Amino acid sequence: MSQKNLKVLNVYQVIFLVQNIMIGTGILSLPQRLSILGYSQILMPIYFGIIATITLWPMVWLCSQYKGDNLFRINEILLGKWIGKSINVLLVLQFTLFVAGIVSNYMNLIQSNALPEQTMTLPIILLLVLLTYIVNGGIKTIARFCTLSFFITIPMLYFLKWGIEKGEFSHIFPLFNFDMKEFGKALQEGYLSILGYELILFYFPYIVNQKKAFKHTLIGIWITIGICFITTLVSVMYYSEWQLRNIQFSVLHLFKAGELSFVERIDIMGITLWVFLILTTVAGYLWSAKKGLDSLRSKKNNYHVYYIVVAVFGIVMLPASREFQEKLFEASFYIEYIVVAWPIVLCLIHLVRKKQVQS
Amino acid sequence: MKKNIILFILLSTILLIGCSDKELKVPLEDVGMVSTMAFDYIDEDTMKMTVAIPQFSPEAKENTQTFSVSTDMVSKGIVEIEMHSDKKIVLNQLRVVLFNEEFAQHGEMEKIVRHFYRESSVGNKVLIAIVNDTGEQILKADYPDKPNINMYINDLLQPSINTAFNPNTNIHDFIYTQTSTVHDSIVPLLEKKDGTIKMEGIAIFKGHEMLQSLTADEALIIQALQGRKNLAPLSLELDGGKEKLMLDLITNKVNMKSNENMESPKLVINIKFEGTLVEYSGEKEDSLHKLEEITKLEEEINERTSKQIEEFLDKLKELEVDPVGLAEEFRRYYHGDWDKKKTNDIISKLEVDVQVETSIISTGNLK
Repeated sequence: MSQKNLKVLNVYQVIFLVQNIMIGTGILSLPQRLSILGYSQILMPIYFGIIATITLWPMVWLCSQYKGDNLFRINEILLGKWIGKSINVLLVLQFTLFVAGIVSNYMNLIQSNALPEQTMTLPIILLLVLLTYIVNGGIKTIARFCTLSFFITIPMLYFLKWGIEKGEFSHIFPLFNFDMKEFGKALQEGYLSILGYELILFYFPYIVNQKKAFKHTLIGIWITIGICFITTLVSVMYYSEWQLRNIQFSVLHLFKAGELSFVERIDIMGITLWVFLILTTVAGYLWSAKKGLDSLRSKKNNYHVYYIVVAVFGIVMLPASREFQEKLFEASFYIEYIVVAWPIVLCLIHLVRKKQVQS
Repeated sequence: MKKNIILFILLSTILLIGCSDKELKVPLEDVGMVSTMAFDYIDEDTMKMTVAIPQFSPEAKENTQTFSVSTDMVSKGIVEIEMHSDKKIVLNQLRVVLFNEEFAQHGEMEKIVRHFYRESSVGNKVLIAIVNDTGEQILKADYPDKPNINMYINDLLQPSINTAFNPNTNIHDFIYTQTSTVHDSIVPLLEKKDGTIKMEGIAIFKGHEMLQSLTADEALIIQALQGRKNLAPLSLELDGGKEKLMLDLITNKVNMKSNENMESPKLVINIKFEGTLVEYSGEKEDSLHKLEEITKLEEEINERTSKQIEEFLDKLKELEVDPVGLAEEFRRYYHGDWDKKKTNDIISKLEVDVQVETSIISTGNLK
């Protein structure tokens, strides 16, 4: 394929693609995941932003060395066909599991909050059908959908107003009331919430202005960090430390504080609008997994999306115990950390094998 | 070919719809939406649960249906009520939960409120109150001039400017103060008096248990110290009852500064009131048009209110409770885990210095 046709993502699409893929279900339980720090969790999103900025740099650098190739190709080039392909298989499996994890998480939320008397099979099928439709449109459609989602969901920040009114600002002090062990644990638990920017490794070849990709991605990342920061700030102001630890989806409880004369339960509105954020996140990962299958079988095939979606459905509906499923998803979330760190390894290999590869 | 397949699927879906299961959802007219609930203490394991459900049928003689059962769990009680009722009982429209004083004194309230906090169909804005009679009697009594008890109690507990002393506690507030390490809970206290329900004062908690009741004036001090902007009118007696006045408070600013010392805690509280003098009777009545007299009056008010607040804080110190959250001024400077014991410790040793600054910005139209 010629390079010209490949480049489809303009500046705004890159920003919103990065930003929207990052916000999934993670932010809903972010204050709870960080609750080991108690009220001192307030600055954590900022640290996450700094870590994301640092880890983004090798990703973009690596991609700019192989402008027309995604991570799957780069793996094969740098590690040889066999090792590269085996790692790619793992990546595809990981993404499939990751998508299943997010879908299952969201469905649990719907089940426990909005539709407690219904089975979830039909909603899961509907969500997956919609997802397939979006992903079939290619990365540009996903990016456009992300832009749309951003503007539809950003007004939800207004719902935090009542939380701020009732909350006590003095809760945020003292700022550093934790030890390193607690900090490490919160970092490990909470960083999951902002994952998603690493997918640039896969859509980098599609970006029009690759030279400025780093800057644009950073803007996307810091918009997300801003939103995470506001969420944790309001949670810290509004809740007691016990509530931070024990409320499962604390952000939705923040919406419950809302008082509009024409809507009684704003949190239900929040949950339903959240489907946009879930769809964009999952679409990003599904698209990447599809690209992986393409590269594994060395040909493009539209059915690859369907294979993965069926696998996702299978995993979500798996007749295994809930504990096993939870552990599986939790493991997939942690493996994602390896994906974030992987480009650093590849950069080193690139530097060592530079001449060999170029020849 | 593809079109044929789609057509086939559509057609078979339409034809097969008749074979689907009957809709399991209950239609709206068969749902009984509980609006008010009351819990009365029987013994350690059992309680009496009363629910009031508004009736929407125009033919019904009574517009509220009430049921009472003895139970040990809320959901079990609901199932039992369903056996009496012709409707499916749901809690989606719950507005008020009442507890009787004995129930609160035995420390059982937190368990029940936590149940509602967990339940996803119940919103967080459900109001709670304590009644010094039994909740059942309040819900089942006749209020001839009120359309129905559900709306009556709900409206009564909503804050209005003249009863702004009303702490208007909802489920979230209660759980927040119960689990917060620097607060003790306060809940409005209701009393039934000849066909009406009266806001009697507030109940103050120590841990999970209700300790005692406070008067409306004391509740006003708590709210003033918490920094609430809209406060109820302040009525004062100066000079041993010779002067009486009523002040409508417009704004209220509170500034607290602690000495950050855990061993000998000291707190300086600065309160600035701005208000209108609505009514006055006393010796200065005819000279209030002079600014010097107003300033003199302001000074007297400052002295009187700061003394009143200090007395009240001494009372709290004796009881070792902290409904205002004064300990927060020390927690915010403390590194390490803060627990309730530390709050009690601070409150029992706390020395306060209250400074009130009142400014009367208007005395009405007459000169």
